[in-house]
Amino acid sequence: MSQSIQSGRQAVRETVEAPRQSPIVGRLAKRLEIRMLALALVLAAALSLLSPYFLTTNNLFNILDQSVVIGILSVGMTFVILTGGIDLSVGSVAGLSGVVFGITFHHLGVPGAMLAAIACGSFAGLVSGWLIAYFGLAAFVVTLGMMAIGRSLCYILSNQSSISDIPDSLSAIVYTEVLGIPTNVIFLIVLYMLGWAYLARTKGGRTIYAIGSNKEAARAAGLSVLFYSVLPYVVAGGLAAVAMMFSVGQILSVDPLAGTAWELDAIAAVVIGGASLFGGRGTIIGTLIGVLIMVMIRNGLNLMNVSPYWQGSAIGGIIIVALLVERLISARVGRR
Amino acid sequence: MDARSESVLVARDVDKTFDRTHALVRASLELHGGEVHGLVGANGAGKSTLSKVISGHVARDGGVLLYKGRPLNPRSTREALDAGIAIVMQETSLAPDMSVLENIFLPEFGRKGLLSYASLRRRAYELLANLGQEQQLRLDDEVSRLSAAQRQLVEITKALAVDADLIIFDEPTASLSPGEVELLFDVIGRLRDSGRTLVFVSHRLEEVFAITDRVTIMREGRTVVASRDTASITQAELIRHMVGQELGEIYAVPGLGTPATSNQPVVFSVEHLSAPPAVRDVSFEVRRGEILGLAGLVGAGRSESAEAIFGLRPRAAGTIRIEGREVSPKKPLQAVKAGIGFVAEDRRVQNIVPDLSVKENLLLAHLGAHRGFGLAYKTRDKKVHELLATLSLPADRLLDDNMLNFSGGMQQKIIIARWLLLDPKVLVLDEPTKGVDIGTRSSIYTILRQIAERGVAVVMISSDFEELIGVCERIVVISDGYAIADLESRLLDVEKLTLLAAPRTSMRRNSELLERLTAEWGGAGFWILLDGDQLICLNTAVADQAADPGFAPGEAKAIRSTTIPDALAGRRTDFVAESDGSRSTLLVPIKSHRGHDLGWIGLTVATSLGVPPVETIHRQIGMMSEAAA
Repeated sequence: MSQSIQSGRQAVRETVEAPRQSPIVGRLAKRLEIRMLALALVLAAALSLLSPYFLTTNNLFNILDQSVVIGILSVGMTFVILTGGIDLSVGSVAGLSGVVFGITFHHLGVPGAMLAAIACGSFAGLVSGWLIAYFGLAAFVVTLGMMAIGRSLCYILSNQSSISDIPDSLSAIVYTEVLGIPTNVIFLIVLYMLGWAYLARTKGGRTIYAIGSNKEAARAAGLSVLFYSVLPYVVAGGLAAVAMMFSVGQILSVDPLAGTAWELDAIAAVVIGGASLFGGRGTIIGTLIGVLIMVMIRNGLNLMNVSPYWQGSAIGGIIIVALLVERLISARVGRR
Repeated sequence: MDARSESVLVARDVDKTFDRTHALVRASLELHGGEVHGLVGANGAGKSTLSKVISGHVARDGGVLLYKGRPLNPRSTREALDAGIAIVMQETSLAPDMSVLENIFLPEFGRKGLLSYASLRRRAYELLANLGQEQQLRLDDEVSRLSAAQRQLVEITKALAVDADLIIFDEPTASLSPGEVELLFDVIGRLRDSGRTLVFVSHRLEEVFAITDRVTIMREGRTVVASRDTASITQAELIRHMVGQELGEIYAVPGLGTPATSNQPVVFSVEHLSAPPAVRDVSFEVRRGEILGLAGLVGAGRSESAEAIFGLRPRAAGTIRIEGREVSPKKPLQAVKAGIGFVAEDRRVQNIVPDLSVKENLLLAHLGAHRGFGLAYKTRDKKVHELLATLSLPADRLLDDNMLNFSGGMQQKIIIARWLLLDPKVLVLDEPTKGVDIGTRSSIYTILRQIAERGVAVVMISSDFEELIGVCERIVVISDGYAIADLESRLLDVEKLTLLAAPRTSMRRNSELLERLTAEWGGAGFWILLDGDQLICLNTAVADQAADPGFAPGEAKAIRSTTIPDALAGRRTDFVAESDGSRSTLLVPIKSHRGHDLGWIGLTVATSLGVPPVETIHRQIGMMSEAAA
């Protein structure tokens, strides 16, 4: 009986009429990515005033180059966060994949070792994803466990030492230029285009949104909830390995500590890009903006010779302020 | 009630409106000290709301509450509890990860100073011992590991720990087994003997008769019968008041013209479906062109049956056939591919994906059923526009990005369209008109009628019996997880349906008894309530058509229009032959072991075949009733 009364109450709440169509600026302001893009532009303007070097072509390519690793990681993290999950293991899984590459390229050759590394990363994601989706375990805890396992295997497989005889051919792959643009940047751009197309234009992508937004409804509508809940973790693990390949290509060395704290950068970029940690909300373009904001801040602080020890505080503070401002604005705009 | 019978609580003219729902309309209630007071009514009568007003869960809009002579205005459950009023609800308010002891004294944890666990333990043990239940609960067990009955006991003890004088039990037996119900009744009896006042809110009539001293009956937010002695009222009378006589008259005529579908082929059938604990044995079939209704009270197992069919809930047994072909979906996707669509009960939780646009919500089932990698939304464009036109939904709102801004009716239409888009063979709708305005309701009915006529098997679950009778050709009644009746809706009215749907502890036992009697002696067995010159039939078992007593389960009839009027008028416990000599009937009154009337068991045989031994039959009936007690 109480149920029927509550449903009556609910019904009334649901009857509220749709808000009237607002003018175009207001509607744009409602889009989180647009607001974040504005923030990125303001940031860029501020940095170019503070440092004359910031707005040079050279430095802009620098920023793109620095965006590659965190950018690749963040695509996978976007998938995971869209389902309402989180993957804390991408950093150590990336580290593990790097070590796998380092100990196999002598036997398998560079392309074979890269495939082995990516398979290793995807497999770690498959295990986490399956545990989370099939048994309903908390993503936070499962990936925390995977994070510890991954890092421990890094030390064991690498004999606690760095591997530095990485062949130059890897670096060549990363830095070959096509029409004046390095391949790693091209790869990043293509990856974001593919990621956008997948999330916006395919059955799998829309299913991932539906799962994050309302898993029960997704299941009741006959969507393949289990498969598409596991997939994002596989993608995140695989892309973590890919990100590590680019990183190894940049520094030509594999360290058992490599990839430490990468997951935090990736999560921060996705969240700054407007995704909701509860799932269902966020876009790949938002994530790209989030990545650029993160990298620009770091780059600008370097240009201004801020001590690396202070950079953590600065970046952390800016992230929190950005989210706070965003929350205050969105409360006013009245989204939801 | 003699010496203790001064009023403990008086509620007068209590009003409560939830937005547009007028939940309480000048409702009243008067409770005496040391009584068990039954508060009964159908779904939505306002009994839970009134309880929650008294216990401080809900603030009233108007009216007077007097508790022990002083005005009572609880602004929170805390204040009501401090005054000595506690409520024990179905969903308990216990902290699952804490121990029994900690839960009992949870309110104490808010006090300043140190707690002595030793003295708390002693007090808890005393409280339980007073209830005679010290063996039932270990104080150190975690609450999450307790059974429903044990949790309830913790709730009761918690109420006693704060010295509650007035304890309201809201549907306390809904999730208890018969043995546990006995235990609860024992506890309630002890609480009454200690001078406390108890309110027993229930729609289980037999239990109301078994435990209460007086009853108050509510209907549509009003108190229709105030404080009658339970002993002075009959089951039939109680039901009449719960449903309202005038209702029965208005809706005795079935709503829509019902085409003859009885000779049409069966499109969809479910046999012996079981998904414990909620679904025990449910069978039904839907013929071509038919809308089948599943009736029952909330929690009877209707929604759970639908979920089991759709693969949302594991099935323990049961066969599902669509157009004769057996299907066995283990997950919704398989059900969808087999041609089943399911509009789940809770729109917000089970149907709407808030972050997707309205269009994507409409196409969600398509997305699951579609095999390719892309979206293929375009392939459905034509059908989508057809559906929007049929459902009179504005096409330009399709691209709105938040479906929650729509009215309940529009939301529901879109969810229904989601399934119609796939051209299902079977469409199951759980409470499709809940929170939907009247205009939209009738357009939903029209759509359902249209698709049924095109050959889709439509199954509709609803708590609104009036609606079921109006919309459906046939209605299957589910009670406590069993399908107990399958009737054409033109034979039914709200009153009969309410009667059939009321959960009866004795339903299974008595049905078995009837089967056994007719298996041994032939003829026809029946279980009826007699109310003056009227009878209400609860169940029958007919082995010999020649002995058919002339009424069927769920029917209410004048005694003289049956085929055994003489026997029914005579109410004798040996065989009475009808004046035309064709049938002989024996009637035995049955009582609960607390002595309350549970109606009559009868056996009619064709006189020409000879009359069975009366003594043996009496013994058999007696044995069956006692075995259950």
